[in-house]
Amino acid sequence: VTRALVLAAHGSHLDPNASAPIWAHAERVEAAGAFDEVRVAFWKEEPALSRALDGCAAGDVTVVPVFISSGYFTEEVIPREMNLCGPVTRRAGQVIRYTSPIGAHQAIAGVIARRAREAGARPADGIAVLGHGTRRNPKSERNVFAQAERLAASGAFAEVHAVFLEQEPDMRLAFDLFATPDVVMVPLFIADGWHVGQSIPADLALDGDELRAGGRRLAYAKAAGTHESVADVILEIAAEASAW
Amino acid sequence: VVTGEIVSQLGQLTIRIGEDDIAIEGPATGQAPRAVPGDPASLRRWIRFDDAGRYRPLSGARSMRANWQADLPSIAAMDAAIEAVYPLALEHLAAASEGRLRIVGLDEVLSRQSGRYQVAAGLGTAGRDAATAVLCARCVKSPAWAGGATPPGGIPCPEPCSVLVALCREAALWEREPPEAAPVNAEAAFADFETPGNEVREAYLRLRKDDLG
Repeated sequence: VTRALVLAAHGSHLDPNASAPIWAHAERVEAAGAFDEVRVAFWKEEPALSRALDGCAAGDVTVVPVFISSGYFTEEVIPREMNLCGPVTRRAGQVIRYTSPIGAHQAIAGVIARRAREAGARPADGIAVLGHGTRRNPKSERNVFAQAERLAASGAFAEVHAVFLEQEPDMRLAFDLFATPDVVMVPLFIADGWHVGQSIPADLALDGDELRAGGRRLAYAKAAGTHESVADVILEIAAEASAW
Repeated sequence: VVTGEIVSQLGQLTIRIGEDDIAIEGPATGQAPRAVPGDPASLRRWIRFDDAGRYRPLSGARSMRANWQADLPSIAAMDAAIEAVYPLALEHLAAASEGRLRIVGLDEVLSRQSGRYQVAAGLGTAGRDAATAVLCARCVKSPAWAGGATPPGGIPCPEPCSVLVALCREAALWEREPPEAAPVNAEAAFADFETPGNEVREAYLRLRKDDLG
């Protein structure tokens, strides 16, 4: 049976960089050679989610949502647009496996740790896992808290907390959350888009990629979602789905 | 045309298949074409912006950079290059020619929207027609979903795109609170319909000026 992988992502009508990491992950996944075909599909770009399987002859298709949060997009928009009915859809001789978003997978905690270390994090430092969050959807926060808890449980760093852009705990009060002198903040975002590149550094009043106050330092890492090891997470998710 | 060379058109692309070489070219305006890498990732980045540096979220937008050429080593590489420039175009052409293209109309697409796009379903027929006329006129694809035929060198569009849905959303809101028209701002982002001066927004408002308050 031929196998295809579809990376389902958001994309943007306004931000030309929003889909760049998705294409990069797709290239890495394709290079791994585990699938006969690797496709991408977007809510706001082309190819569209609703046409993602046009011409796809693979008998076994795995759709991995490249989203951080489980919620509106992963539970409503993607299934609706791709006509999926649950984790496994059987249609016209094709099996379509629909996984949880990458943000829900345990291996993302390791990606956050790598991003933190690349930004200079040491074992004695605190790690702030930064999520978008929204008061409109309580599910939005769930994977951010879960990843922070996983990273804390690993014992790799002295302290780990989740902080948010649009809900409590507020990222701007990160120093108040931590007992460690230094904190590395890792955005748990899919892309280095407007939030990661502009609005968050402005809201935090960063000087370059750091903030110094009262003898303490906050270092700002790149988005976890753009890390090259996300491709490995995608492959792991797809491998798990193949056993369903 | 060089002897033995096959030249064809696909949207704004010119495709040349010679005895020893294959190339795709962007629109020509008389200047010598610039050579660009022909691998899909490079082409995807190249056609992502127009000559003025504006982001092109709609692959079929008639704003492709002019005067460039990508040499390609094989027919397979050419297909991959075309896929990067016009995603799914070759599949949709093949499906249309074989009578198996799945067509989904605007009414169905708007009726299934939710969240911030749910309001788009409230746009009336005149608004839907105007939005289609304004946006699709700026795209090389032929809206098969509106019953249109695809001309030679054209690309069938089987389903309204997300950009049209976004325009219908704004248009539905404009029916409730008609906005003031504004001079076109050539620097406004193509799909930023909320911003006065956006060329698509202003074209829509012009088309419907007698209907909107």
